[in-house]
Amino acid sequence: MIRSVTTRYALRSLRRNLKRTLLSAIGVAFGVGIGLIAISFVSGQMSMLYDAAARGGVGHLKVAPAGWNESRRTELRLDDFEAQLAAVRAVEGVRLAAPHAGARALLALGTRSVQVTLSGVDPTVEQAALRYVRELDEGDYLANDSELGPRQIVLGRSLVTRLDAEVGDELVVTSVDDEGEIQSALVVLVGVADVHNRQINDGISQVPLAMIEQLTGRPGATDISIVLDSYHDIERVQPRIVEALRSDNEALDMFEVSSEIRAGKAKSDGYTVAMLLVILLVVLMGVMSAQLTSVLERRKEFAVLAALGMRSRNLIAVLLTEGLALGVLSAAFAIAWAGPIVASWAAHGVDMSGLVQGEDTGVAQGSVLMELVFYPEFGLGFFVTAISLAVGATLVASIYPAVFASRTDPASALRVDR
Amino acid sequence: MIRLSRPIALALSVLALLVVDPFVASAQPPPSLSEISERLDDLYRSRASIARMEIEIVTPNRTRSMRIRAWSRGENRSLIRIEAPARERGTATLRRDRNLWNFLPRISRTIRVPPSMMLSGWMGSDLTNDDLVRSSSLEDDFDGSVVGPDPEGRGWLIRYEARPGTVGLWRRIETVVNQAGTIPIESRYYDRRMRLARTMTYSEVREMDGRRIPTVLTIQPNDRPGHRTVMRYVDLDFDASVSESTFSLSELEQQR
Amino acid sequence: MFGTTLRTAWRNLGRNRRRTGLTLGAIAVAQTAVLVFSGMINGFGDSTLETVTGPIVGHAQIHAHDWREERATEMAIDDVTAKLAAIRALPGVDSAFARVYAPALVASEMDGHGAMILGVDLDAETGPGGLLEGIAPEALDGEHPALIGAAFARDTGMEVGDELAVVGSASDGSIAADLVTITGLIETPLDMINRGGLIVGISVVQEAFLLEDSAHEITVRGADPGAADALVASLSTIDGLDELEILTWQEVAPEMSQILEVMGVYGYIVMIIVFMAAAAGVANTMLMSTFERRRELGMLLALGSGPGRLLRMVLTEALLLGLLGVAVGTVVGGALVLYWSEAGMDVLMGGGASAEGLAMFGVGVDPYVYPFLTVGNVVAGFIGIAVVSVVAAFLPALGTARLEPVEAMRG
Repeated sequence: MIRSVTTRYALRSLRRNLKRTLLSAIGVAFGVGIGLIAISFVSGQMSMLYDAAARGGVGHLKVAPAGWNESRRTELRLDDFEAQLAAVRAVEGVRLAAPHAGARALLALGTRSVQVTLSGVDPTVEQAALRYVRELDEGDYLANDSELGPRQIVLGRSLVTRLDAEVGDELVVTSVDDEGEIQSALVVLVGVADVHNRQINDGISQVPLAMIEQLTGRPGATDISIVLDSYHDIERVQPRIVEALRSDNEALDMFEVSSEIRAGKAKSDGYTVAMLLVILLVVLMGVMSAQLTSVLERRKEFAVLAALGMRSRNLIAVLLTEGLALGVLSAAFAIAWAGPIVASWAAHGVDMSGLVQGEDTGVAQGSVLMELVFYPEFGLGFFVTAISLAVGATLVASIYPAVFASRTDPASALRVDR
Repeated sequence: MIRLSRPIALALSVLALLVVDPFVASAQPPPSLSEISERLDDLYRSRASIARMEIEIVTPNRTRSMRIRAWSRGENRSLIRIEAPARERGTATLRRDRNLWNFLPRISRTIRVPPSMMLSGWMGSDLTNDDLVRSSSLEDDFDGSVVGPDPEGRGWLIRYEARPGTVGLWRRIETVVNQAGTIPIESRYYDRRMRLARTMTYSEVREMDGRRIPTVLTIQPNDRPGHRTVMRYVDLDFDASVSESTFSLSELEQQR
Repeated sequence: MFGTTLRTAWRNLGRNRRRTGLTLGAIAVAQTAVLVFSGMINGFGDSTLETVTGPIVGHAQIHAHDWREERATEMAIDDVTAKLAAIRALPGVDSAFARVYAPALVASEMDGHGAMILGVDLDAETGPGGLLEGIAPEALDGEHPALIGAAFARDTGMEVGDELAVVGSASDGSIAADLVTITGLIETPLDMINRGGLIVGISVVQEAFLLEDSAHEITVRGADPGAADALVASLSTIDGLDELEILTWQEVAPEMSQILEVMGVYGYIVMIIVFMAAAAGVANTMLMSTFERRRELGMLLALGSGPGRLLRMVLTEALLLGLLGVAVGTVVGGALVLYWSEAGMDVLMGGGASAEGLAMFGVGVDPYVYPFLTVGNVVAGFIGIAVVSVVAAFLPALGTARLEPVEAMRG
């Protein structure tokens, strides 16, 4: 009974001072809206990095044999590779699964040679999984139906220059197999990749998986890079993959695989938390002072109520309910103004490239190329954050004023204002 | 065609000293092409051999010379020891089957070379990894034909085209042999895009242990001016008595 | 006339201490928050810049031409001692170090492993700005001490105390061989060193690899990474350096400088966002505060005060509040930033990453951020927040001033 009276009273007093209520709500909505935009902005910044890394070879998730993450030895192979690959590809949420196997080898043309670490790939998915080879500078990418069979290779521009080679040249590739025997083969340079970064170019030397098998005598792949729709899906999909694998092979997320990304995440999380705290603090201060001010002005009203017998406990309840209602209203306003902005960002993306000077469209970070457009998330999380931020702020901010109001001495309040 | 005695070739290649393998080809003078090819292939073949060679590597910045002694037995055993210059005297490489060890007298240590390092070719000399590691044969992997007399009148010009499916650096090798067809004079190597990549010259024919062979081999890469590798056989003992115990780690560490 | 308005405004503020105090407090908190956050972003940017131009990259690098592509041992800078002395004597140079890079085979027992030997001046580089800053001096004791990358040691089973044979190809092509003793593990985020590197005294490497008084790289640091161009320009004036390649760190690591730029833009935008949030808080406060005074203002109107005068009074109060609040906020915010600039802010807050082994861009990351403020930060706050206070008070005041006194008094 009391509660419903409290609520009714709270709502009625809000309605009675509509202008004040609205002004207050707008004020909070503005702060909360800014907070929402800030959160989506910063999370967008990091998602740019994570998704770029995922398509830079790391993958959102990686399936690898136990112990691979510590030692990174190229001789390791996944148990039951074919079956595991098929199982992973069938998991819902997995956009791409790209297997890899590596082998150190020497490439030679005439009197020139270069040492590389060959990367054996699946030509049908690799271009989608690795940004660097999506578009080639010259020639074509590896193809499963080529008459060359596994005897194809794609190299980065700097390697091609060092070998003084051209598309179409036959290169001798030499490697050492498991038994210690030296194996060699002729491969044809079918394509050249150029990402305008020598470090990355030096690392591009791709052949079909079958060629690695031929050179090392070891079939299968060392790891499978898995690309999801976005890094937000990692938590959801990872357990599904573990279940699909049903083996000793591990499913690692990108943060476990790359210490660079892990550090980046740690720093940005700290960054985000700090920023949110500041925004929250500021919103809180604004709301609290507004609430206090209004409480001060309504002292007479509260005094009357007290004189009529309302207990202080109930008064606090009334004021807190007012705060709650105000919070809900503010949340609605905040969603109304910030929602469309974030939603349109989520749909069309935010293009940062105009702000950053640079001739290339991509930017290399460590070994990752970034697209300067990001797509913030707009989903349930947005609404939940909006409501919790607004309601939380107004509720917390209403506590002190409510307590303050309840301590007002009715008699002195009813006296004429000085 | 340069036919490296395989064990020596492998051991040398890993000495990290760009050791050029001594390959000397010589053949009897039969007019038959297959005999020429066979002879060129088998120039240094013997069940066991002991050789002493001088090697000079010339680059635009410096010239490096050394003298080595090499023991070999069969396909898989070789021991190479550096005799000069003094700074490196006693350094040795042992190859046994697929294992390779280096002995460094200056620090009295023997190190086993990991397989991945065996690929790094040679540092500095003009030998390619193909020479040192591969064992392609003119007879088996190439189709030879006698083009005619050498335009410079030194003898006969023989052309070898790589058979399809052969894995090797050279698409074509043109060798000039003497009139009798017994001794190579010059070999020109064309890479897989048919560019002349290097030229090898054989000179100073001498008799060594009953065989007449060119004792000096000069390798000249055609696209790198100022680079040259010269190998000279000082002496060579074919079918020497080389015991199995020569190819042991303890032998390696002897500073004979 | 202004004097009267001012006095009235001041008196009004004093009359309702609680309301004034609250509003002042809100404004002060907003300014404090903005200052602290700006300080943090500044420090953040700085720390990343420092990290990127850390001891390995420096602010400028000197090499023989083509060494970066060919990596040939013989492509070295000679007369290094003299050149280092000349560089260190140059005004604007904080530190300069010479380094030798030599690929080699290393073995503690019989099995050899491919490695990269990095020869550094062990004494000098333990000083400020050096690669080994912070390493315990015991780790550099002994005849031929060597530090090995931690992952490398783990993978190969090599341990502190092991005597390693180091074998490579000297500058003239001959064999380089020597023995070193592992005296410590080095946890560096640089993959090249962590997974396959050995740090050895430069004189040992020079002797073994026949690089008398030579080095492959000279790394120079000045006072400010942003002034790398000027540094390179003054380095080019030194005799003997003109035939060498002198690069700024941006040219050495172009991808890093682009990253920093992107981060800078983000930081700027986030700062604006925070500022706007602060402004919102202030606006809210002023709005409510003015709104609540309707009755009081209405009474003034009824007593004959003209609307214009009323407006002026309210705005002057708002301005005073704004300025005072910002002043207080600046003092508090400034003090906090000052404290943290000495003690360092722990940005990671235990975000699951340990202090060592953190890698960003392949270079180390200090988990502490040292905030600092520029004059611009403070001034921006002052002007911005003061303006917001006034503007926020304007509308409701205007609205009230236009009302009929009776209506206003009714509230």
